[in-house]
Amino acid sequence: MYDIIIIGAGAAGLTSAIYTGRKKMKTLVVSVDIGGQTLLTEHIENYPGYTEETPGFPSGPKLMQLFDTQAKKFGAEFTSGKVNKLEKTGNGFKASLTNGETYEAKAIVLAYGKVPRSLGVPGEDKFIGRGVSTCATCDAPIFKGKTVAVIGGGNSAVEAAELLTKYATKVYLIHRRDAFRADEVTIERVKKLPNIEFVLDTVPTEIKGEKFVKGIGIENSKTKEKRELEVGGVFVEIGYVIETDFVKDLVKINEKNELIVNESGETSCPGIFAAGDLSSFPYKQTIISAGQGAMAALTAYEYVMKLEGKTGARIDWS
Amino acid sequence: MNVKIYTTNHCPYCHQAKDFFKEKKVEFKEINVEENPQAAEEMVEKSGQMGVPVIEIDGQIIVGFNKPAIEKALKK
Repeated sequence: MYDIIIIGAGAAGLTSAIYTGRKKMKTLVVSVDIGGQTLLTEHIENYPGYTEETPGFPSGPKLMQLFDTQAKKFGAEFTSGKVNKLEKTGNGFKASLTNGETYEAKAIVLAYGKVPRSLGVPGEDKFIGRGVSTCATCDAPIFKGKTVAVIGGGNSAVEAAELLTKYATKVYLIHRRDAFRADEVTIERVKKLPNIEFVLDTVPTEIKGEKFVKGIGIENSKTKEKRELEVGGVFVEIGYVIETDFVKDLVKINEKNELIVNESGETSCPGIFAAGDLSSFPYKQTIISAGQGAMAALTAYEYVMKLEGKTGARIDWS
Repeated sequence: MNVKIYTTNHCPYCHQAKDFFKEKKVEFKEINVEENPQAAEEMVEKSGQMGVPVIEIDGQIIVGFNKPAIEKALKK
């Protein structure tokens, strides 16, 4: 039995682990990866204290490695896996993983963030990893000499398209609206690239291929005209969603499908705390996730102390 | 034991996988498919897919930084 299980190991989860570790709580971190969204940021320049003098600056992965080392230093245990069931028990909670392992704890911090949103068109699941990718930063070089399509209209889509123009012979940037949501500066820069074509007011209908992707079916949402583009790769950059299936019966969720937390990091269920991108707090930023992670950890510590009949020393300045 | 890892320059999971092997003191050969397009083809052929990292442990192919699968393969 652990004092606390932290689900997720991005900026929020790792900071929670640093704080619970320092409180000598028996801590387990369960996560599919270490570092979360910050891993995908090559240039992190708005994290205070992490400056030109820090080895590895300005990469997000390096910052997350520092978080991880710090959490382990204070005694947090880690296990690699995905939680797909969370239930109340007589004296706490039980988390079940897809690999069959189960762990119990007195309190839970949910900090598993978001996963890339999928298109939901035929062929997408079949060709994931076989031409369909959600990580342009990772996979772009493998598409050297190919024609590819990027789906989406935000910064991540436009930046993925820009990166891909360095490797692919041609990049189609497909967006369902008539204008991009990305920053003007980025759009202006990308517009000038010779091997990019904007395909606006258009949605994908199907991803086709044999062993690998060979084409994408698209439809103009105004004219309803359908056509097919010959592409060897499809990069899906249409934002992120929160997986709430395994927690929605325990905690309240808002209209954006985020887990509702109060100012102390408590969810609607006593003993379950939440922090980071999956929470109802605005602004998804590494620094905010870290702060929320600390908050959730301290509130969880108080909660566990009270369960044991001790007073959790509130370390305030008041 | 023969360990190979196919990588690209900016893939965070490739870096994590390499760090993992270093931590476990497992010697590995890095094949950067960004610098070597022929190796990229070889990787796609072997793994049947187009994502990095791909890790090969004594002929066994593991796609992604799948820690439990890697640990299992190393124990063999």
